[in-house]
Amino acid sequence: MGWIRVLFNRCATLFRKKKLDADLDDELSAHLDLAVLENLQRGMSQREARTAALRAFGGVTQTRETDRVQRGFPLIEQFGRDLRFAIRQLIKSPGFTMVALLTLALGVGANTAVFSLINGLLLRPLPVPHAEQLAMLRYEDGGADPINWAFCTPFFRSLENRHDVFSEVFAYNGDTLQVRDQAGNENVPGMLVSGQFFQALQTPPLRGRYLTPMDDQKGGSPAGLAVVISEDFWNNWFNRAPDVVGRKIVIANTPFTIVGVMPKRFIGADVTQRPEIYAPLSADPIIDAPRNHIDAGITAWWITVGARLKPGVTMEQANAELLTVSNPILHEAADDPSFIAEKERGHFHFVADPGSRGFAYVRFLFREPLLAMFAMCAGILLLACLNLASLLTARGAARERELATRLAMGATRHRLVQQLLTESLLIGVMGSATGVAAAPLVSRALAALLTGSNSEFQLDTSLDLRVFAFTTLIAIVSVLLIGLVPALQATAGNLNDHIKEGQHPKPARHRRGVLVKVLLASEVALALTLVVGAGLLATSLERLFHSGIGFDPNGLVNIKFMMDKQALTGDALMVVYRQLDEELAHQPGVSAISFEYIVPLSHRGWNANYSVAGNGKFLINMNAVAPAYFATMRMPLLQGRDFSWNDTNASGLKIILNQSAAELFFPGQNAVGRQVVNPRKMSYEVVAVVADSKYRDLRAPALPIGFVPILQDEEAKPSLTAVVRTEGPHGSLATAARALAARLAPSIPAPVTTEMDDVMKKSVSAERMMALLSLFFAGCALLVTAIGLYGTLAYATARRTSEIGIRMALGARRTGVVVMVFRENVLVAAVGAGAGMIAALLASRALASFLYETSPRDTSVLAGSVAALAIIASAASILPALRAARIDPMRALRNE
Amino acid sequence: MPENKSDVLQGTLDLMVLKTLESMGSLHGYGIARRIEQVSGDSLCLNQGTIYPALLRLEQRAWVNSEWGISETGRRAKFYALTRTGRKQIEQETENWERIAATMARFLAPSN
Repeated sequence: MGWIRVLFNRCATLFRKKKLDADLDDELSAHLDLAVLENLQRGMSQREARTAALRAFGGVTQTRETDRVQRGFPLIEQFGRDLRFAIRQLIKSPGFTMVALLTLALGVGANTAVFSLINGLLLRPLPVPHAEQLAMLRYEDGGADPINWAFCTPFFRSLENRHDVFSEVFAYNGDTLQVRDQAGNENVPGMLVSGQFFQALQTPPLRGRYLTPMDDQKGGSPAGLAVVISEDFWNNWFNRAPDVVGRKIVIANTPFTIVGVMPKRFIGADVTQRPEIYAPLSADPIIDAPRNHIDAGITAWWITVGARLKPGVTMEQANAELLTVSNPILHEAADDPSFIAEKERGHFHFVADPGSRGFAYVRFLFREPLLAMFAMCAGILLLACLNLASLLTARGAARERELATRLAMGATRHRLVQQLLTESLLIGVMGSATGVAAAPLVSRALAALLTGSNSEFQLDTSLDLRVFAFTTLIAIVSVLLIGLVPALQATAGNLNDHIKEGQHPKPARHRRGVLVKVLLASEVALALTLVVGAGLLATSLERLFHSGIGFDPNGLVNIKFMMDKQALTGDALMVVYRQLDEELAHQPGVSAISFEYIVPLSHRGWNANYSVAGNGKFLINMNAVAPAYFATMRMPLLQGRDFSWNDTNASGLKIILNQSAAELFFPGQNAVGRQVVNPRKMSYEVVAVVADSKYRDLRAPALPIGFVPILQDEEAKPSLTAVVRTEGPHGSLATAARALAARLAPSIPAPVTTEMDDVMKKSVSAERMMALLSLFFAGCALLVTAIGLYGTLAYATARRTSEIGIRMALGARRTGVVVMVFRENVLVAAVGAGAGMIAALLASRALASFLYETSPRDTSVLAGSVAALAIIASAASILPALRAARIDPMRALRNE
Repeated sequence: MPENKSDVLQGTLDLMVLKTLESMGSLHGYGIARRIEQVSGDSLCLNQGTIYPALLRLEQRAWVNSEWGISETGRRAKFYALTRTGRKQIEQETENWERIAATMARFLAPSN
């Protein structure tokens, strides 16, 4: 307790220094006065009395000094003085300060931004009580796909009924719900959840109640169908009406009763989703109509399953228990003997993994790219530190005489290091603070880059304690890296040498010179590694975008019409599509239009087995398209004819194959006019062959595709996407499509308009983000390296002014001086580039999995990177060299 | 200044100041110094200035408090007085000191 009081007392003194000084002086002079008075009374003379009093007192000044030290914090006061001195030093060289702050801000900001992405996606636990008790379930069945997270309803229902190790087992599926408002239907992000979902996640509702197992049965609880809404939905749709519980909303044309509101912090078990409505899993046949995932049984693998462990049960115990129940559940849930036999062959069993962070499918997609970017960020921070360390060392060399003088006057080395470290600390804190301030903006931009503009997944990249701890850590490490080496260097060595040589250093082979060169060479190496990485990623992205897509994405606009919840079916619906087709074709800027079922490169697909007499059965990718599709997409029709609006069911089934599919079915033969048969023994006549194009994924090569006319589609209510070829601006197209839909199909939600360009960018968003970010980093790395090379050479050359003056006075030519100075950096750059090349070759192997049609040793990228670095390094080094050549020998010598 | 010596001295001086304030009541710095000199006779050579750091130390620990007042000769001076914690502390400090003194005495006793 005592020390706290002492500490408090000392702290208090920091703020009343003058008053305390005055008090002390008063007190000491009172003491002397009293002593003199007593001495006088004893009969001494005035002078004797004063001398005796002073003698008895001892040192007045010492007493005063001891008092000052003891009453406050001398270290803090000293630090304050160092800080003021450091600020003056930094203000004196604004250029250096700016460079230091900006490079460090870049390094720290980039790291913080990417780390907060990683934190949001990979590290942060779900915001629910006791998240550590949660588990996410998957199964293993010996199949090719190592990760099986999607469950079918029967498996889940069997698991749900067992309570051996789990207190609750829950399932959910993110979904888009069609909710009716005044104007019509609107798409709202929602989630279908099983009965124990809310119990397991233990978050109390803001209002009303949450959904229970009672609600999760066909037709809902006896009181009817129920939903729980999010706080956001309550705000936006009900303006926070206090009587919201009990009101009805119409989802998929069916009324549901709102029974509760969940607080904003609750996001379910998937960190990338923000459901606004939670509906019971059993309501799937209503909400996803005309699809029905529940009756589809073991053929629909559509839900994610999680569980909460009973208190005291470990994950190992849970897994042991799951192993024993797996086979009984398999037999209980499935009724198809061949399915059971196949799963048993693969040693089917359930597995529980720690689920405190919930589940997010995108983790599998973005984990590696994010870690690769994190490594790049670490590189750029290291680069910034190396750069600052070399600049500070060079600057320390220029301040050598000042420091030597202070050492000579009795300053301890410890004290000088402390003061120099204060300077780097100031740079470090200010740079880091700038970086952290910019980080949220950057991470939001990166998240947007990663998820695309109209994204179905959200990421919370806000700064939390973990991010701050991380940032503090890297800031401290940076300050030490930046500050310690130069400070130790600047204060090392023989005092006499320093004072003698302060202004005339030995021209070369100086220890400090070597250190700066090593730092710079590392910097060059690191920069080259980053540039090579960026070059490879950018080249790969470029090739990805321009390698046999098979159609022309520029100016192509997709408009998606959701027809599954309106009343029309079959031919009646086709009439609507045809009207839409005609109306859209007359919009300004539209040159061609058609419809498609699957949007290429959107990662959605549809496949089917077709067979041909005498040549077996093949799984091919399918699409249903309207007439003029190939002309609109600019896919060359190689043979045969396009579909027309006359290709109805009555006219006989038709199919168009792409080249790969035609080659698969009819190798080396003419496909047009031949027949292919689908699994239900329906025969299709091939009417044309079109050129190959990419299907699901930009990264995958072109696949065999069969196209059927939409008029012959088996689906009753297909939701088709209009593909519109536009020339020039088409700003009003989205508005026009909305107006058309409202007129021709009033009950459907507003159609969603996207540019094909955006679909493509989104399909390679991770690659795109990596390429853009690495290009940015590479640019920064080159710039920072140039500044480093320029700055250190400029400092070194400034210190050699008189030496160069003498050389010139003795007849050295200006070109000779240029070469001499320039040469200093050539060696550094060459050694750095060599080391960097080796590092780049090693590091680029890690990038191989992100590269498309690009070798990690792509010679043109490697050569280009070295050339870029050489140009930058030369530009940075030639300036100080030219300045050195302009030295006037007379003036340089006079300065002696 | 040899630090190890002043450490021992410090504790002693603190106790002396506390005992002085206990027996004399509120007193100014000079008064405390004179009183210590008088009590110790010629055996202690005290730099009067050193009692000020001691007083600051005691005040920081809240064992004494101070207040400006007027001395017997009419001079404005700072007066120190024991606080309640200080009074309790004397007991403990005395015990400490007696233990150290006893230990030292055992060392210094002629071995026979």
